[in-house]
Amino acid sequence: MIGPILSVRDLRTSFFSQRGEVQAVRGVSFDVAPAEMLGIVGESGSGKSITCMSILRLLKANGRIKSGEALFDGRDLFKLDEDEMRDLRGNDIAVIFQDPMTSLNPTLTVGEQVIETILRHRRLTRAQARQRAIELFELVRIPSATARLKSYPHEFSGGMRQRVMIAMALSCDPKLLIADEPTTALDVTIQRQILMLLKELQTRLGMAVILITHDLGVIAEVTDHIVVMYGGMVMEQGNVRDLFARPRHPYTQGLLAAVPDLRDDTHHRLTPIPGSPPDMAHPPEGCPFAPRCPHTMQQCVAAMPPLFDGARCWLQHPEAPRVAGVNELEPA
Amino acid sequence: MATYVIQRLGLMLLTLFAIVTLTFFLMHAVPGGPFVSERMLAPEIEAALNAKFGLSDPIWLQYLHYLRGIAMFDLGPSFKYPGVSVNQMIADGLPVTLRLGLLAVICVIALGVPMGIVAALNRNKWPDTGVMLLATMGVAIPSYVIATVLLYVFALKLGWVPTFGLDDWRGYILPVLALAGFWISFVARLSRSSLLETFEQDYMTTARAKGLRPGQVLFKHGLRNSLIPVVTVLGPVVANLVTGSFVIEQIFALPGIGRHFVLSITNRDYTAIMGITIFYAALLMVMILIVDLLYLWLDPRIKLSRQSA
Amino acid sequence: MSEETIAPAMWEKLDRSAAETEVIATPSLTYWQDVRKRLWANKPAVVSIGFIVLLILAAIFGPIFSPFSYSDQNLKLANLPPVFEPYRVTDSSGTSTRFFLNASNFNLYQVSEGGQVEEIIRGERKDMLKKRQGFKFGDQAVTLDYSSLPAKLLNADGSVLRPEGLQWNMTYLFGTDQLGRDVLVRQMIGARISLTVAFVATLVNFFIGIFYGGIAGYMGGKTDAVMMRIVEIISTIPLTLYVILLMVVLDSGLISIVVAIGSVFWVDMARMVRGQILMLKSQDYVAAARTMGAGTGRILTKHLLPNSVGPILVTLTMLIPSAIFIESFMSFIGLGVTPPLASWGTLTSEAVETLRAYPHQLFFPAAAISLTMFAFNFLGDGLRDALDPRLRK
Repeated sequence: MIGPILSVRDLRTSFFSQRGEVQAVRGVSFDVAPAEMLGIVGESGSGKSITCMSILRLLKANGRIKSGEALFDGRDLFKLDEDEMRDLRGNDIAVIFQDPMTSLNPTLTVGEQVIETILRHRRLTRAQARQRAIELFELVRIPSATARLKSYPHEFSGGMRQRVMIAMALSCDPKLLIADEPTTALDVTIQRQILMLLKELQTRLGMAVILITHDLGVIAEVTDHIVVMYGGMVMEQGNVRDLFARPRHPYTQGLLAAVPDLRDDTHHRLTPIPGSPPDMAHPPEGCPFAPRCPHTMQQCVAAMPPLFDGARCWLQHPEAPRVAGVNELEPA
Repeated sequence: MATYVIQRLGLMLLTLFAIVTLTFFLMHAVPGGPFVSERMLAPEIEAALNAKFGLSDPIWLQYLHYLRGIAMFDLGPSFKYPGVSVNQMIADGLPVTLRLGLLAVICVIALGVPMGIVAALNRNKWPDTGVMLLATMGVAIPSYVIATVLLYVFALKLGWVPTFGLDDWRGYILPVLALAGFWISFVARLSRSSLLETFEQDYMTTARAKGLRPGQVLFKHGLRNSLIPVVTVLGPVVANLVTGSFVIEQIFALPGIGRHFVLSITNRDYTAIMGITIFYAALLMVMILIVDLLYLWLDPRIKLSRQSA
Repeated sequence: MSEETIAPAMWEKLDRSAAETEVIATPSLTYWQDVRKRLWANKPAVVSIGFIVLLILAAIFGPIFSPFSYSDQNLKLANLPPVFEPYRVTDSSGTSTRFFLNASNFNLYQVSEGGQVEEIIRGERKDMLKKRQGFKFGDQAVTLDYSSLPAKLLNADGSVLRPEGLQWNMTYLFGTDQLGRDVLVRQMIGARISLTVAFVATLVNFFIGIFYGGIAGYMGGKTDAVMMRIVEIISTIPLTLYVILLMVVLDSGLISIVVAIGSVFWVDMARMVRGQILMLKSQDYVAAARTMGAGTGRILTKHLLPNSVGPILVTLTMLIPSAIFIESFMSFIGLGVTPPLASWGTLTSEAVETLRAYPHQLFFPAAAISLTMFAFNFLGDGLRDALDPRLRK
């Protein structure tokens, strides 16, 4: 058993504004094994993107990592100085953002944007870097790679731009790639292509990938492990197969119930989760999901549930009453 | 690109034609103006005007004469000084005005942009507050007030620079500063807000996520994008610097076109007023065209949309 | 994991009605309440409003309460400073005279104890060679020596006379100009002229702009294209030049300058109005209103207008200082109002003529115009921030 490439422990990140402290991430822990694809799922505002920006230490000026550690290759990222961190970014840890329309600099050619990354981290001549950029473009299947180096971002379609972003992220053979909703801003038909490309490259290059998304369908297909986040915390985590087969947290169950299943021909309605996520400026004392949960008990609002073997829910407590479909599973 | 330039040149000629026409007929409306036959003038001027424009001809013919003159870059004789042509007056003042204007543009870019950068990088700290205070003053205080205060303090009281004339380089300091003051402030404010906006862009996060050094992030990714709005105002800046120089040349007694212009106004030297106005307009439009071409080169997105259009 | 036992009561299902009484606490404000709240929170903008109101009051009522009119000349009391250093000479009979020395024209002026300027003091013949002049106060003789600057006042025994300290000029609070006119009242008349020009010209611009931009935006299509091409041509013409040309044609005067400024600077307003209308025409909520059966009038008054008022207001606030600026600029180069009428521009240019001898004369017109520009700029910035719903929180 090889140790994890990234191990996040009790990460807490807050933003400070005139309104006061907004606790975006409240004690998140998870591991990423080498060459695995980990999915982080959650609604917007659940803290999934902030978690990853914290790992990269790229928070906005008013954001601060309050506590926790992120061991990458045995080094705590939060203890590195800014220079060491910069050497790591784009080199050992790379990132792809949600919107390829705005994530590429509109005034520089895409070639230049890839080449500058290579030159930043590798001792290569410009010509060698250019050669490498062409290889990368071919790797992510951008047609007529050599000619396209000279194009500007606005001359590409959304899907092609995301390929450029991927090429840029892969330019220094990162050990860990963070993909923050890489398909959300794309057309549905393109989404799948990009996802499959990511999966293929992940297996081929043997790197670890954190895939952040709010789309469970995306997760199910390509990831190995899943972390479900809500209200700045991990609600449930585990192996993708188990989690989909028997979700143990009412939130995960709610998420799954809200996903359409084309194979399902019973024509029952999708069930949305009522209500909206908690205000992180005033997070609730108990379970953040309690106000929206169909099974809320007195205990849920009184105290924060711990993780019971991967699910943060009081119903997983040994003394908890049995609730059909949650902790009392129908016989397999 | 070429079609764009040709289009722009065409529009420029059209505008210039409109200006010439407007100016001609405005001047014609002046009682005792240049193209009216009942006037008291020195006979040699009367003769020169007559030879040029045919004063007894109907107005449309005079207009055509004037247009023909413009087409051959001939602005006609002065209305007040015998034997002097408007072309000579312009040629006389142009070097001074151009030198002042050029220095002022350089000041605007070389001082305004760095001031904006310093302010944006130190947002809400003392350098920002200081720069913004100075810039707000620069925007609010009219240039002729700045000019006279500078003149009083540095030339009359402290005697560091000459009060008038351009005999040595120090003579340029005050006029250029007074001329550029407003626009330095304006550009400082603009580049600050533009930079702050750029800092919020996703591609800036990308640049940092690639591990680029702060210098690379700022200069390569930040500055170029945030300078685009600054370049777009450079056209009007040039225009305003040139018109602003009337007063500055007046206050510092500099022999530029602006001084000739103001003098022609007080002398009611109508042909000179017309000629200088038209010359100014043409000069400004050429400058604005140059600035627009610069803009085109800076922002590749424009190029495509213009070409395809 | 947590091995502590949990009270069985805690496993009861939660009574929903209790948990859901939490209501969102922020009270909802209407748009304009919100705007007002944000504007009042903006200190510079509030101070600016106060300053502008004061200035308008001074411009309207100030000259009425002034003992002087803007054209009253008193050449004997020309170029008086607003602050002076009074001297006192007491003769043997006990009558004392207070006076001050105008260090730039070497005149002595008698002043009362309260700081009222009374009259110029006649001295003996000036000794042009030695640069001296004698003065008699009863049996006391005082000699003014201006051979070396600054000028000194000497007693009969040759000792230097000491002033009694600073005193404000209570007759002419801001001093007098080179023709002996009261600077304060001229300053207020200047404010009257400059503000009138600014407001009227802005209003003229406003109507032309709204009319032109409104038509272009409303008609759209070819009309719009042609009208906007015209605007494009006009905007490349250096407008200051045209104001100057118009002033030459119309001859200086208050009305000409209003006409000149008003007829030239409407282009920005027209563009802005057109942009607003085009944008709003395509907004979904206008389409929604139309689907719900709202008539054109209702759409115009209930949807289009309230939404374009903001940007129009900001453009107007920004137009006022530029109109003030152009007016003063014109007056400064001698194309503005005709003497003896005063505007801030003419006051400044008159002060520049006497800059070497009486630099203080520049202070008041320069301060007045600069402060006004500050005030309108801050107000415009404040309004823009207050009106921008993107900043709404």
